[in-house]
Amino acid sequence: MNSAQLYQALSVLLPPLYLVAAALHGMAFGGDRAPQVKGLRTWTLHVAVLLHALTFGIADRALGAFPINDAWTTLSATALFVALFYDLIAVRTKHPGTGGVVLSVVFLLQLAATAMESFDLTRTNEGYDAFRILHIATIVLAASAVVLSGIHGALYLVLFRKMRAKEFGPLFSHLPDLSLLARMTRQAALSGFIGLTIGLNVGIGLAHADKIEGFSYTQPSVILTIAIWLHFGVIAFSRYIKGFTARRASWAAATGLIALLLTVVLTFIPHFAFHSVR
Amino acid sequence: MSTPDLELHLVGFSHRTAPVAVRERFAVRGNDLAGCHASIATIEGVREAFVLSTCNRTEALVAAPRGADPTRELVSRLFRNIDPEHLYVHSGVDAVIHLFRVAAGLDSMVLGESEVLSQVKRSHDTARSSGVLGKTLGPLVHHAIALGKRVRKETAIGEGTLSVARVGVDVAARVFGSFERCRATVLGAGETGVLVARYLKEGGIRELTFLNRTEQRAHEVAQQFGARSAGLDDLAAQLARTDVVICAIDGEGHVVDRDVLSTRDIDRRDRPYLVIDLSVPRAVDPRVADIANVLLYDLDDLGRVVQTNLSQRKDALEDSNRMLVAELHKFFSLRTYQTFTPAIAALHERFERVRDEVLDQIAGDTATPEQLRLAHELAKRLLDVSLGQMKESARYTQSESVLESEYRRYLENL
Repeated sequence: MNSAQLYQALSVLLPPLYLVAAALHGMAFGGDRAPQVKGLRTWTLHVAVLLHALTFGIADRALGAFPINDAWTTLSATALFVALFYDLIAVRTKHPGTGGVVLSVVFLLQLAATAMESFDLTRTNEGYDAFRILHIATIVLAASAVVLSGIHGALYLVLFRKMRAKEFGPLFSHLPDLSLLARMTRQAALSGFIGLTIGLNVGIGLAHADKIEGFSYTQPSVILTIAIWLHFGVIAFSRYIKGFTARRASWAAATGLIALLLTVVLTFIPHFAFHSVR
Repeated sequence: MSTPDLELHLVGFSHRTAPVAVRERFAVRGNDLAGCHASIATIEGVREAFVLSTCNRTEALVAAPRGADPTRELVSRLFRNIDPEHLYVHSGVDAVIHLFRVAAGLDSMVLGESEVLSQVKRSHDTARSSGVLGKTLGPLVHHAIALGKRVRKETAIGEGTLSVARVGVDVAARVFGSFERCRATVLGAGETGVLVARYLKEGGIRELTFLNRTEQRAHEVAQQFGARSAGLDDLAAQLARTDVVICAIDGEGHVVDRDVLSTRDIDRRDRPYLVIDLSVPRAVDPRVADIANVLLYDLDDLGRVVQTNLSQRKDALEDSNRMLVAELHKFFSLRTYQTFTPAIAALHERFERVRDEVLDQIAGDTATPEQLRLAHELAKRLLDVSLGQMKESARYTQSESVLESEYRRYLENL
């Protein structure tokens, strides 16, 4: 089996692996009645993340260059970092409550990436200098953090509403407490904000240096990107803004995630595109 | 239950049949309990009475002569104008089963909780000092208390969450996670308030304040926990600087109403404002829940939290049910045996008379000490054999399997 075949096989294996990991994490909502799969759950996610990283390693080696080189590898990298961040959070908090939702999103991202990817390992990225790699890496990391922030914000709202409605079902029993969800929302937003700050500045610098055709600050995708940067900046520091409660920050994070998805679409569809990444 | 002349009747409501809004209307407060017992004892036909009133139930158990039915008058005295839908009425074996289940914590909102056993003990003491417990209800309540202790000691029914106070604090933990950055105010310095404080302290609460009608009592309790204390005059100021309010306070009317809370301040807080009302009657105006950032829970709400955990205690519940049936059998056997008391006394007397007659016939006045000892020992042994036989008969008067069927039928009708 050559590198291209191995790369393709692993890429095809990843979505079902994430789906299994999501299902195993989702079982936590079954409480004591569900099969006890703690070890299997943890190791499935570890294996999925390692294989995903290996996929990029194979691509890097085969290409001899930075492997994130189109919209779909960007999406796949985002999925990888969301899964990796979640894995680290799960190891630290020992709380499987949000895994079912987070890994379901990872599954969908990776499914889209695998379905649309060309699996072409013959392209080269000779123009990818350190700044471009820094731009892509920080944006991918920021996007992953923003995805996590949005998911945890949405889960905060769900749990808060359940508690207001006095519905004490599996979500009440098995999601992390409101305080932890709010903290994860804000910390992820802060990570996203830092990543976006670096990534956007480097990106703007590159756009000016390379005189990228079609780049303009008035483009909807650019405006939306900067808006998201500001949006998550406000969420990240919302604890210090009087009246910007955890509930409002969670609303903002959830809506910010939707805005991010919209921006990704606008950034990569041909009419609005300003990226060299296609 | 069948005793020679008295029959048991029980009327009441609990969290199973009545919402907290009804329970708080008909609750009998501690100070009124003796008067309530005395009042019920004056009902025509009632020979003995026992009233239990907790935050989750109010019920009266009476013993009345066979054929008399005092339940209508009981309802009229204790539960005037109540919707009959909220009431349950038990008599005979069902009344005993009910009392045993209550004492064992099997009928509690929090399965196996221990507070109800203390409340049964207190009601027992009050009823006894009021002189309304007799030879029927006295041993019955005593047996129920013994069963309650045994169930908690020998089964896992009470492991983990032991009281509504514990459930309340657990709900607070679902909001705040750790209590290390959390300020709590406990309204009421009674038993439940102290229990809440203990759980909050175990959770590492940063700041704890007791508010009570009697400031001195609040101060005494606060000292135990290294907490602050104040009277209810400081309520508004204290509520403005706390994250969680837990109310366990006696009295009529809402202590915490919407006007006491600053809506604007609460709505601008980062974390939700949690209010847990463990009081009956409720101490918190239900309209407080309308404030956007407030989470308000009363006893019925906590009951719903408990329901989600019930399935996890299925095995312990089965053990407790088995123990309850065994104790029912023991109790009825004892009761039946007690009905033999006059017969036993007569038998005893007859054995002694026959022994003396035989001694007179055989030895007259010249009986040696050896002969006397032999006659006494023989009479005693024969009496023991007879009494043993009577005990066996009592044991089989109501077999354990029959009682188990009765108990299953009772559970099905719940």
